[in-house]
Amino acid sequence: MTTALASSTHGAAEVKSARKARHMGWMFGTAWLVVLSFCALFANQLPFIRTYDAKVRVAGQAKQYGFGPGWTAWLGTDNSSHDVFARCIYGARQTLFIGIGATIIGLTVGGLLGVLGGYYRGWVDRAISIIVDCLLAMPALLLALLLIQRTDQIKETITALGWLTRTEEITITLGILAIAPFARIVRAQTLGLRERDFVLAARSLGAKSQRVIWREIMPNLVPAMVTVAVTGLGILIAAEGTLAFLGLGVARPQTWGTMIDAARDDLSKAWWATIFPCLFLFLTVLSFNFIGDHLARKFDIREAAV
Amino acid sequence: MRYFLQRMLQFAVVFFLVTFGVMIFMRIGMNKPGDPARTMLGGFVTDQKAAAVNKQYHLNDNVFVQYFYWLAKMFRGDFGISVQQNITVANYMKGRVLVTFFLGFYSLLWALIIAVPVAVYQAYRRDSNFDRAGNLFSFLFVSLPALVLAPVIIQLFVIRWAWFPRISEKVMPWQSLSGHFKNFFLPVVVLTLPLAAIFARLLRADIVQTLQSDFITLASAKGVPPSRVLWTHALRNSLFSLLSSVGVQLGALVGGALVVEQYFSMKGMGALLLTSILSKDLFVVQSVTAIVVAVVSVANLLIDLTYAFIDPRIRHARALT
Repeated sequence: MTTALASSTHGAAEVKSARKARHMGWMFGTAWLVVLSFCALFANQLPFIRTYDAKVRVAGQAKQYGFGPGWTAWLGTDNSSHDVFARCIYGARQTLFIGIGATIIGLTVGGLLGVLGGYYRGWVDRAISIIVDCLLAMPALLLALLLIQRTDQIKETITALGWLTRTEEITITLGILAIAPFARIVRAQTLGLRERDFVLAARSLGAKSQRVIWREIMPNLVPAMVTVAVTGLGILIAAEGTLAFLGLGVARPQTWGTMIDAARDDLSKAWWATIFPCLFLFLTVLSFNFIGDHLARKFDIREAAV
Repeated sequence: MRYFLQRMLQFAVVFFLVTFGVMIFMRIGMNKPGDPARTMLGGFVTDQKAAAVNKQYHLNDNVFVQYFYWLAKMFRGDFGISVQQNITVANYMKGRVLVTFFLGFYSLLWALIIAVPVAVYQAYRRDSNFDRAGNLFSFLFVSLPALVLAPVIIQLFVIRWAWFPRISEKVMPWQSLSGHFKNFFLPVVVLTLPLAAIFARLLRADIVQTLQSDFITLASAKGVPPSRVLWTHALRNSLFSLLSSVGVQLGALVGGALVVEQYFSMKGMGALLLTSILSKDLFVVQSVTAIVVAVVSVANLLIDLTYAFIDPRIRHARALT
């Protein structure tokens, strides 16, 4: 340990190669997500993906875990002899829908709360902070479990809410979970922005608060919001998987979490039925992390704890 | 001082709001308004039993009255009864707290033991191969929630190589030390790896930033050996995000424990929470949630206060906003 501590000792070439490595991560993430979404969107049209209910039969018989990974069924078959690969693709559709929906809810509500708190300060800020603190004080998974279980029961008593499907319930629940972190980050960004000269300029020209928020501050929040949304999507997808694993998932079409839950007891008999949905989940979360990191560097956003 | 008071007040407000919120929330949509006992006990109870339970826990009173009765009981150590299991919540939790405590304690400990040296060395040799490998691995492990990591680990270490038992029994260190570690090893690994990755990423970024400040240059120029500069000057000034993240991750660990306890069939607090939420075991949910929230918030509070106590910069910066 005799070299100087500052990074000045390292040549420019090394830094460049580090950037290249990061670029590869970003490329990989984008590629995986593009392919996955393409397959998920056109699953019904693509010839190499079986339909959701198609059974892969062994000599005309439906057999539990009849095929391992191989040519007939690429990733094997599950306990009711459905094609794991096809199910993973249909699962992607559901998972991405839930994840994106939840992010939109979280971003809208959380973003609004954050901007209002950061811009107006004072008692508005304090009230919003208390809400955010309360949401953060509950462990996220616990809150989600409570919310979903309760909505289920409230639906039984209040029939007016009967139209709410499980998918929407989970989307809304995860959206609520996302509110607090989003609000926190947006608030911090807004606090910085409101002191900037262009806001002062707009105000001295007589712009009303509403206009300042929408025309001056909001557009400058977009990079931060996009970055946080991408990183948050990864986390929300993992959370959705976990909820499904704990028995609060969507029964049809199955998400990755539901598939893992259904097959995990037979891990010793058929590892593929558990591990491949896990792999899909892992690669998707990883991709969102890579892209989020890339965006954070690009827009120079210090990563806030999500 | 002002900062300390602010934080204490904030903690109290949040604790009461959350517990009250959970209480109200648990009351909404119980089958018949004002008869939660019947819902909890399931359909087949005598009227007397339901009435007795309702009376004992003041379930027919106004929510505010109920809340105060419940709170007073909590502080006296009476957490209510588990109606499903027909035992007191305290007894229900008794054997389980330690399981989850060990899970969380070991994972945090190991995550820190792994993350700190790795992050320090990564920051010291920035952009070296070690740094880049470290970054890649932290990306991989951050993206591996317990849900995904556990089956892979079980497949490899339990099914393929059979090094560890499939079901992690509750063996306490004073019963059999080797048995204890053997049973807790895999669940702890599952929880540790993502945690260590999160910590390492945060700490590395902070140290890299600290290393660029003037006092580091001064210290090296003065002839302080690099290892000392790194471990005392730089590390000590970069601990803030790491410590606050430890507090935040405590909450996430509760979630992680829930999953891991399912995979390894452990009887811990996570499993207890899951069963009680799914079976609408009112008091268990209410009391255990309150305890979890209290533990996590107090830990966060302590971390913040200690840090503010050590580092006056934080105290002043926070008191202003």
